[in-house]
Amino acid sequence: MATALETLTGHKDRVWNVSWNPQGTILTSCGSDRSIRLWAKEGDTWINKNVLSEAHTRTVRCVAWSPCGRNMASASFDATVNIWDCKANEIECIATLEGHENEVKCVAWSASGSLLATCSRDKSVWVWEVGDDDEYECSSVLPSHTQDVKKVVFHPNADILASASYDNCIKLYKEDADDWSVFCTLNGHESTVWSLAFDASGHRLASCSDDNTVKIWQEYKPGNTEGIATPNNEPVWKCVCTLSGYHNRTIYDIDWCHLSGAIATSCGDDAIRIFKEHPNSEKNAPVFDLILTIPQAHSEDVNSVSWNPAVIGLLASSSDDGTVKLWDFSKIF
Amino acid sequence: MAGFSGVLKLTDLDDFIAPSQECIKPVKVEQKSGRGVIRIDNDGTDALSTVPKYEKAKITLNDCLACSGCITSAEVVLVNQQSHDEFYRVLAENSNLQECERRTVVVSLSLQAILSISAKFFLRPHECAQKLAGYFKKLGVHYVFDINFARSLSLLEAQKEFLARYRRKDVDSKALPMLASACPGWICYAEKTHGSYILPYISNGRSPQQMMGVLVKDLWSTRKGITPDKIYHVTVMPCFDKKLEAARDDFYNDLYSTREVDCVITSVEVEQMLLRDQVELPSVDPVELDSDLSSGPVLTSHHGSSSGGYAHHVFISAARELFDLDQDKLQWKTLRNVDFREVTLEVNGETVLRFALAYGFRNIQNLVQKLKRGKSQYHYIEVMACPSGCLNGGAQIRPDGGTSAKDLVSKLEETYELLPAIKPNEDPRIPLCYSEWLGGADSAKAQKQLRTNYKAVEKSTNVLGIKW
Repeated sequence: MATALETLTGHKDRVWNVSWNPQGTILTSCGSDRSIRLWAKEGDTWINKNVLSEAHTRTVRCVAWSPCGRNMASASFDATVNIWDCKANEIECIATLEGHENEVKCVAWSASGSLLATCSRDKSVWVWEVGDDDEYECSSVLPSHTQDVKKVVFHPNADILASASYDNCIKLYKEDADDWSVFCTLNGHESTVWSLAFDASGHRLASCSDDNTVKIWQEYKPGNTEGIATPNNEPVWKCVCTLSGYHNRTIYDIDWCHLSGAIATSCGDDAIRIFKEHPNSEKNAPVFDLILTIPQAHSEDVNSVSWNPAVIGLLASSSDDGTVKLWDFSKIF
Repeated sequence: MAGFSGVLKLTDLDDFIAPSQECIKPVKVEQKSGRGVIRIDNDGTDALSTVPKYEKAKITLNDCLACSGCITSAEVVLVNQQSHDEFYRVLAENSNLQECERRTVVVSLSLQAILSISAKFFLRPHECAQKLAGYFKKLGVHYVFDINFARSLSLLEAQKEFLARYRRKDVDSKALPMLASACPGWICYAEKTHGSYILPYISNGRSPQQMMGVLVKDLWSTRKGITPDKIYHVTVMPCFDKKLEAARDDFYNDLYSTREVDCVITSVEVEQMLLRDQVELPSVDPVELDSDLSSGPVLTSHHGSSSGGYAHHVFISAARELFDLDQDKLQWKTLRNVDFREVTLEVNGETVLRFALAYGFRNIQNLVQKLKRGKSQYHYIEVMACPSGCLNGGAQIRPDGGTSAKDLVSKLEETYELLPAIKPNEDPRIPLCYSEWLGGADSAKAQKQLRTNYKAVEKSTNVLGIKW
């Protein structure tokens, strides 16, 4: 359990991010060496199928797959986002989205695949509409944060967007007439919020921070039976659980498995941790148990964790140590 | 510090610094001959009399504008140079001088600012303009004009430039689309972010504020026999970005060391002044606007958008001049969102004119990216940095509790549409302007006085400026 299923090497510098295609058959990794690598299983082992060696002119910070699995979007410190066509064997860059002032930190697709969100050190969050003929048009620019925006993530089934920032808060957005706007701001973390993940239902959101805690936020809709006030008839999100004392350093990434309900975190103390909700926990005051710690998962900071969307318990991680690792946690659930 | 348009806030957002603290702009000090000689004196005493005086290095607003660094540090300088405090200071200074030494103080009111203030105090626009004139004149202002006559000139110059560009479109790939130039937020963004590939498309016509500037400090000053430096010209504007515009080099008169617009104050600042002076605007005695440079005895407007009606005027005149078609009411079609609309003219099934309004940063983005990829189909685009345009300017008075910003803007829109609209070419003073003041519509003087220039701002490569 404490040893990785596979250690994938090839990147020449730190690996910032790992992500799966929607079918769970391809893993992508990207990092400071400006490349994107695609990995797939052949027989019993995972091999490097493709290398997009000069995918960008600077660090590739994040890669996200479209829900249909045909396109990939990559966010880079070169201030652009590239859209890749992965239908054929040859992967081709079909569009470059420009507009951010500087480093793009994250990119995410909406559940329907018709929207793309990006965020940047320029403190803004952008929403793009995916049109025909690979035309991507900007439909909103949201200067909602006061600092660097680290992460954007869409709700698993509604057109709701969440962003996390160096300004310690999380913002939730929805479309309002023909523009997007913030409908809820989640305050509580005492330092940078690095990453976010919705659960499978979309009623809960997990966040991880430089304050060494994980927080679980829960949605309360207008007319909720708990009697939580919902100003302006908008849903409110409340922190229902804080996991503190488990991490000793910054928590860089968090992923909520939609198959098992398990939460994985990646931390600056080189460890990966797995949490799961206690079977008898209450809805409005849930309890999450730490069920596993892998203390030296990598030899340096673990930057990213991602659950395979099809194979239960299969987790990918990436690190400053330049490696990508695969872990099988299926036996602990 | 709030107030600038979203476009400006988005550029270099994280560089908020007060200029004295962290500005990395290398400051040039005037070189004087004889400087740099090392003097060695035994006691140092007799050297004193000949030591050259070095100029103190100062960061001015213009340095800030020329630097691709922080727009926000320009804000700090601005607030000092062009504030209502400065306006009060000049008025106070004036009142302590002998009559013959006083500067003539002129205030020019923009329509959007008048509407914002009129909504705040439940006044009709014309009534509000007259009460503002009454208030300013009590403070010691000598002349108060509205800015619509200047806007007529802007519209006519835009029309002229468009016709010229349209006629050379087949030989000049950068002739079209022509992009409106009245919004200083958009200009500043284009110069700093998109430089040389977007600037050739931008109209070189002056904005109404700067038309008014040259009218006051050239045409009118000559007529009155006052030198430009003896006039203090204040404009009242819906947006802070206009302060940046007034401070541009092009609008500085070297001969007299004076700006065409000395001070820009905004709708919110007028509200603050009224508060400070404890004046209830509705109870101020109305005073007629001075007629010399105002649009007419009653407050007027132009047809088309409430941001100035540029696309409307250019479309109508192009349809008439180029295709001999009289257009009256234009059918605007909303495209992607309410701030992106287009109108077309078809002749024999072929689209010969395609005009758009593109307001707000998201639409500017799409426009710029399309232009970059050669995919824009438009002939003219009225670009404004603020969503909903100038009535929603960053320095307009915020709605009172209970009213949403959106509702307030729609209310202002409605009021705007009720104003009597004038046609720029029907003002009898315009031909006189061209013939008597400028020496002809296409004279070198007309070119100099009615047009302007843009220059790309190089991205700063100074490593000290990089923040991690």
